[in-house]
Order: sequence, then structure tokens, then C-alpha cells
Amino acid sequence: MELQGSHVLNAPPEQVWEMLMDTDVLARIVPGISRLEKTGDNEYKALAEIKMGPVSGSFSGGLTLSDIRENEGYTIHVKQSSKIGNADATIRIDLTPVGPDQTQLTFDGGAKLSGLLARTGNRVLSGVANTLTKQFFENFEKELKTPKEA
Amino acid sequence: MSNKYIGQSVKRLEDKRFITGKGRYTDDIKLPGMTYASFVRSPYAHARVNRIDTSAAKDMPGVVAIFTGDDIASAGIVGVPTGWQVNFRNGDTMKEPPHPLLVPTGSTVKHIGDPVAVIIADSREAAFDASEAVEVDWEELPAVVSAYKATQEGAPQVHPDAPGNLAFDWEIGNPIDEVNEAIEQSAHVTTLEFVNQRLVPNAIEPRAYIGHYDEVSDKYTLYTSTQNPHLIRLLMCAFVLGIPEHKVRVLGPDVGGGFGSKIYHYTEEALVTWASKQIRRPIKWTETRSEAFMLDAHGRDHITKAEMGFDAEGNIKALRIKTYANLGAYLSTFAPAVPTYLHGTLLQGLYTTPKIHLDLYGVFTHTVAVDAYRGAGRPEATYLLERMLDLAALEMGKNPVQLRKQNFIPSFDGVEQPGYQTQVALQYDSGNYHGVLDRAVEMLGYDEFRQMQQEANQNGKLLGVGFSTYIEACGIAPSAVVGALGARAGLYESAQVRVQPTGKVSVFTGAHSHGQGHVTTFAQVVADKLGIAMEDIDIIHGDSDAVAFGMGTYGSRSLAVGGSAIVKSIDKVLEKGAKIAAHKLECSVDDLEYAEGKWTVKGTDKSISFGDVALTAYVPHVYPQGLEPGLDFSSFYDPANFTYPFGCHIAIVEVDKETGRVKLKRFIAVDDVGNVINPMIVDGQIHGGLAQGIGQALLEEAIYDENGQLTNGSYMDYAMPRADDLPSFELDRQVTPCPHNPLGVKGAGEAGCIGSTPAVVNAVIDALWSGGHKVKDIRMPLTSERVWRAMQEQNTQILHS
Repeated sequence: MELQGSHVLNAPPEQVWEMLMDTDVLARIVPGISRLEKTGDNEYKALAEIKMGPVSGSFSGGLTLSDIRENEGYTIHVKQSSKIGNADATIRIDLTPVGPDQTQLTFDGGAKLSGLLARTGNRVLSGVANTLTKQFFENFEKELKTPKEA
Repeated sequence: MSNKYIGQSVKRLEDKRFITGKGRYTDDIKLPGMTYASFVRSPYAHARVNRIDTSAAKDMPGVVAIFTGDDIASAGIVGVPTGWQVNFRNGDTMKEPPHPLLVPTGSTVKHIGDPVAVIIADSREAAFDASEAVEVDWEELPAVVSAYKATQEGAPQVHPDAPGNLAFDWEIGNPIDEVNEAIEQSAHVTTLEFVNQRLVPNAIEPRAYIGHYDEVSDKYTLYTSTQNPHLIRLLMCAFVLGIPEHKVRVLGPDVGGGFGSKIYHYTEEALVTWASKQIRRPIKWTETRSEAFMLDAHGRDHITKAEMGFDAEGNIKALRIKTYANLGAYLSTFAPAVPTYLHGTLLQGLYTTPKIHLDLYGVFTHTVAVDAYRGAGRPEATYLLERMLDLAALEMGKNPVQLRKQNFIPSFDGVEQPGYQTQVALQYDSGNYHGVLDRAVEMLGYDEFRQMQQEANQNGKLLGVGFSTYIEACGIAPSAVVGALGARAGLYESAQVRVQPTGKVSVFTGAHSHGQGHVTTFAQVVADKLGIAMEDIDIIHGDSDAVAFGMGTYGSRSLAVGGSAIVKSIDKVLEKGAKIAAHKLECSVDDLEYAEGKWTVKGTDKSISFGDVALTAYVPHVYPQGLEPGLDFSSFYDPANFTYPFGCHIAIVEVDKETGRVKLKRFIAVDDVGNVINPMIVDGQIHGGLAQGIGQALLEEAIYDENGQLTNGSYMDYAMPRADDLPSFELDRQVTPCPHNPLGVKGAGEAGCIGSTPAVVNAVIDALWSGGHKVKDIRMPLTSERVWRAMQEQNTQILHS
């Protein structure tokens, strides 16, 4: 499954970067993620609830960040397992400044699926990926508009 | 012998039961104290099993027992065997790695769904829930799914002791030098590289098994959704569990379709039987549809390059073939035989080709086993030959009908004229190949069609016609021949005809009906042979305790082999009956004739009925001296040869120029299956076979991704043929009796599936050529996208993945 998307956010790269490094924010904006816990340097434990067409399941597993380029992006590696199959995704995220106070967030990568997830979810995968991408950016924008808790 | 039933379309006696929901399938059977099994299966195509933790599952409600591969291994059970041996061309024995019932820790799973543990619980739901609580530490390893790629340097290895992933390499035909020379000297060589794609068999009833060990009798009973109960008993007892056969009863109750996929001895059958003794309770396992897609042995999956050489007049001079046959991760029961003895031996087709050579590689991959699926090897051979013939005709600007006719083997009846010896080991029994082609072409109206095709083209439509003339080896099989070819069993059939004291007849057959209508067809034969009513006959099958022995139903063998065994027993009944009748009528046996259910003294009105003779046999007060009482005979029939049905199929398609959508407009099938007992049932078999063959051409394919995940394992994604994909079939029949069995029948179960696929693809290629798109091949299934792309790319071949 290919995962690609791009969107211009109304915030400078530094602010977007700060949000991308904040586990609480990530848990709120990444669709499906219900919990994200730091377990080490750039290593996290993640719990997710995902529905793909006819199948849905609770996923758990690790999330690691690598190739960390401050204010420019990183590569995220997610390995999740569930009773309906496992997912293994690598996604590169790039931040590019667009004029004053705007950032283009681009992500590009792919996910490898196994088990029932691969067997029955395949036909709806691109649709699910598009929906999740849309949700991600919508959540991001909502998060940007939300006043920071102090 | 009377002619009241044979040749009549008697309505199927079993259908009232089936269509009113009264069928009794394995899953319908409930035994006291029954438990239910669910398997923990690999989500990966290739992974090492580092650790299995069943502690959480053990405490789940309703769980009775959990077994892992380590338990099976310590019980000394190695795995399920294969039934055929094929040797490497250098004489080495094929690689036959073990196929464990459950993969033990430290070992590797080899296809998705490969099981590592089984949960047995009080309910199916409890078993499912607990199987989800088993934690397995998988170490994912690289996988290979393509038979060609698996043989290349550096490919992931499926079994450590099968280097290059080769189970065997094999060849058949004339010496390769002679074939090479004939190809080089040919005026025209048609070359085609193609894929015969992998198919899922899709029986409507998923597999289901009940293992039941009874402590009191110290006997096991296995209820199984199978095509051959005795074969399962033999394999399971002698090769897997080491249980003596007389301690095991195998029952195959109503079975909802098989198409080959239920011939084989599967790991789950042995597992529920073994585990039932461990827990002293019956265990039922019913496959989910998702498991059926993933685990029931798939069909086809060949990658082939073929070259056919012609002289300047269009006579075939040579055929050279290289094929990679995907066998999956483990060798299933018939798997080694399918690409070899059921495919290589059919490459003569209907033609006099003097030089043929097949170079074949049987390859392990990280996919589920590939084995016989309706037609089994013969559809692959027919597809190859018939695609070559139509393509050669297009390339050489010849009429495809004429090209076939000039290369056909001349007609022979197998009685006056001898059988036809092929270059690839077989001897055809009888054939009239011109007859079926001429009739089908007459039904088509060849010249009118070509005119229509031209007019359609001018009106912006693409019409095409595709031809296919096939032959198949059925009535499987003469034991001595298949033994020489590597079969580890004989392929005869048994039948017992038990005449009851009242003259009613119970017939026990080793054939097994799972949709074929044996209860009706066999009763028609018995009724006419004995001159009694069909209602007085019961056909019993599917019970290893009731039926002496049997090899089951596949390879279009039931009537040709099983029916012949019944006839042999009837002959014995009539022979003994005549002695009793002669005694009662005070005449000699030679003075009697048997007709319409009675023995009559020739030239008189003195007679005795079949029922009276039966009663006398069981109440032998006035009885021939020295003759045993009773009227009950068993027979085994081992055929002298395969039977060779043949036919001609013609497809007419319309291809949408804008979208590439293929519409099948007409389908003509003229089949010669020898004598016909029940025309309606034969038509039904042809219809079903055509739907499956057309399904392969246009719709079906099992698709594994590069990691070995089956990506279309559900009916949402796997396209089965539906009524609206098919036209109303135009059928006709020719009858060339089989010269070597008493009924003269050849078998009809696979014909439709064997002949139809290339006819459809040829028709699409013809349609494209008529529009100026000189495409050689489009990879099946011919989806709109593939056909559209082929039209855009003109002459280039669509390469296989």
C-alpha cells in the first residue's frame, strides 16, 4: 500500500516541527491512534484502532523515528500487530517553508500488510489511505487553531 | 438389458433433498460431547516460529486442549504425504520435504495460513477467541511466490534440502536435438510466452472434518468433506498416524463440490482424528471462507514459453515447450502428477505433430499447494496448443479451422482401426476429431461470421471468433500405466451389487458423488441392466465400512471406471441368477434369455422373474446342487486404458474499442464423451465446466503480492463467473463409444473446463487483430484494463509479472 500526501499548513516549519515531536499532539492528530507512549530515544509504543472495509482491529506495536532533520522532517517507522494481521510502514516526512508562516508537509512511503488485513482489506486500501490522509491534515489544522493549553 | 432409462434425462433423485435444505453435510452432524477446533495460523508467507505462548489461551473459558507442533512432533507424527513420485531427469528421486500438521517452534512456516497450534474448545466461538489469545513470536523472512523467480540465483529458499527450490525437473517427448532441428528447419515458427494463472477452486461447501475416537470399540471415525473416503483412510492410517485401517471408518457424507480441491489428504483431517483420542471427545473443524481461499489447494499456475514450427504448407513439424509449474510450499497428494503426467502427456493434442519436447520445472514457492483443479494439467496443455494454433493461423494468414483439419489425427474407432500412439506416452482409444469441429463450425456459420466481423469493424465494433479443439485423458486410470508413471496407488474401482431377498438392489460404489448425480446415473445403468425399476435400487457411497474399497471421484472417472465395476458385478448376478432360474424352470442355462426383469425359456412363455430368483437365492429350498445361497457380488475394475473424450469449443466475443470490455456473445460446444447415460446430467456437467473455464479466461485469478500475502482472498475481490457473464450455451454432442469399457463411456466432468478457456482468449485476440491490433497475448484474466492496454500497445506483448 502506497502512502502519499501533501498539504500546506498555516504555521511556520518550526511550529509544525514542534508539534510533530510532541507525542500528545501526535496521538491526537494521527487518525486511529489511541495512545502513544515514549519508551526510549525516538522510540514509542503505540496503540491504534483501525477499520479497513470489512475488517477492524486493535493494533499495538512500536513506532521509531530516524533520519531526524530538525525543522525539516524525519522518517517514521511503524510496526503494528493485531489479530487481523500486521502492518509495517515506513514514511518519510518533509517540511518545506512556503512564504511567511506557511509550511508544506509532504509524506511519502508505503505499508506492508499481512494476514486477514491483506486478504480482505486490499480493495478498499487506497480509499482508506485517502480518508486517513484527509483526516490527518484536518486534525492538524484543527490542532493549529486550538489555543495552546497553558 | 432394457432401454428404459439409459439415454434418458431422468431427473436427479438427490435434488429434492438438496434444494429443500435436507442435505446432510459434515458440518450438519452433531455428536454428543463434541468439541470444536480453531487453528493459529501464520500471517506471514515465510517466518521462523521463535516462540509460542499458549498460557493466556489455556485459561480462556471453554478451552479443552491446546496442541502445538512440538506436541505433534513428540508424538512421532511427521506429516502428510504425497501420492505420486516424479523423478528428476537424471533419475534422482524428487524432493519431498515433510508437510507437518502443525509447524513446530524453531522451524519455519512456508505460506500464509500455515498452522502452528490448534485450540480445542467447547464451542466454535470459544475456540476462535482462544486462538486469538495465543502469542507467537514470528521472525519474518523473505518470501518468493513466482515459480520462475524461485528458480533464480539468490531467491529465498522454501526448503533447505531443495536447492533452487526445485522439487524436480522433468522432460517428456522426443529427444531435444531432434525437436531443435525440426524447429530450425520450419518455414514458420509461432512463439508464445504466457502465464496460465493461479485459480482458487471455490467449492460452495468449505472443508469440514469431525474426528471421533470411541474408547469402547477402540475405533476412530472421521467424517470428512472429501472426494475419496478410502483414499483418505489409506493415506492417514498408513502414512500419517500409523493407525491400522480396520480401526478407522471414514465417512464422506453429502459434499458440496470439490473440483479437485477435496481429493487431497489435508493436515486438519489427520489432526482432528489424532487429537480426538488425546481428549477422548469428538472434534469438529469447519473451515471459514477466508481459510478456504487461503488453504484449499489452488489450481494451474504455469509460466510457459512455447514454440510451434510449421512447414510452408502449414503442417505442424515440431513443438518445443519450457514450463515452470508452481507447486506451492508443500507437495499435495496429486501435485507432482499434474504438470507432468496429466499435462506433458496431453501435448500431442489432436494433431499429428511428429516431434514434441517438454522441459518442465516443478518449483516450491511460499504459497499454498497447487494441485489438480477441474481438468488438472489438461486445461494447461489445451490452452497452450489451442492458443498456438489460432495465433499461428493469424500469423500465417490461414483459416484456423483449415489449419486444424490439415493437422488432425485421422478418425479411428479403436476396434477396426488401432488406437493412436502419441509422441508423449499415451495411446488414444478412439476419435473422430473432424466430426466435432465440422459440426461446431456449422453451428457457427463460419463465412457468415467473417462477413459480420467485417461489417462490425466498419461500424466501430470489434468482433472476434476463437476456436479450441481439445482431447483429455479421463477414466483415471489403468493401474499398471500410472504405477509406471510414479503413482503410489492403483486407480481401479470397486462395486458390490447386493440383491436383497425381495429383489430390491443395494449397490455399493467406491466412487463418491459431490454434485455429479451418481445416485441417479448409476441407478439408471443398474435398472436397465437388470430390467427393474429405478425406485428398487439404492446407490450407497462415501462410507469406508459399507463399501469394500474405492479410489473416489476425480479425473472424470466415476462412470468409466466405477460404472464398469458395477456392470461387472451385475454380470455376475445375472450369471448366478440364470443358474437358479434354469433349475426352477427345469431347463439348461443356454435355453434362457434375460430381458425386462425375467428369464424366459427361449421360444416359450415359461419365465421366472428377477424377484423370484432373488427370493429363491435366499430361501434355497428348491435349488441347484452345490450352488451357494445368496445373490451378492463384488468386483474390482481396473481399466485397460485411459478414456479420451474430445470436442470443439467456439467463442464469439465483442470487444469495446473504448474500454476494452469483453462481452461473450456466443459459446458453442460440441463434445464427444462417448456413450451418454443421462443427457441432462452431462449437459449440466458441460455447463458448469464451461462457466469455470470462461471464468479463468475473463475473471478469476488468485493474486499473491511479492511478500506472499494473498491479496484477493474474499468474494469481494476474487471474481467468480456469474450468470450475467455468460451467454446461453449452444451445445451439441457426437458419440464415439469408448472401445475398452463395457458402457462405452468416456467421462464428462472436466470437458467444459478444458476446452473453453483458450476459445475465449483466442476470440479476443481475433477481435483485436480484426481492428489492426496485432497482439499476440494478453495475460488472463482478460479484464477491460488489460485488453485496453493491449490495444494501446499494439504489437508488444503484455509481459507477465
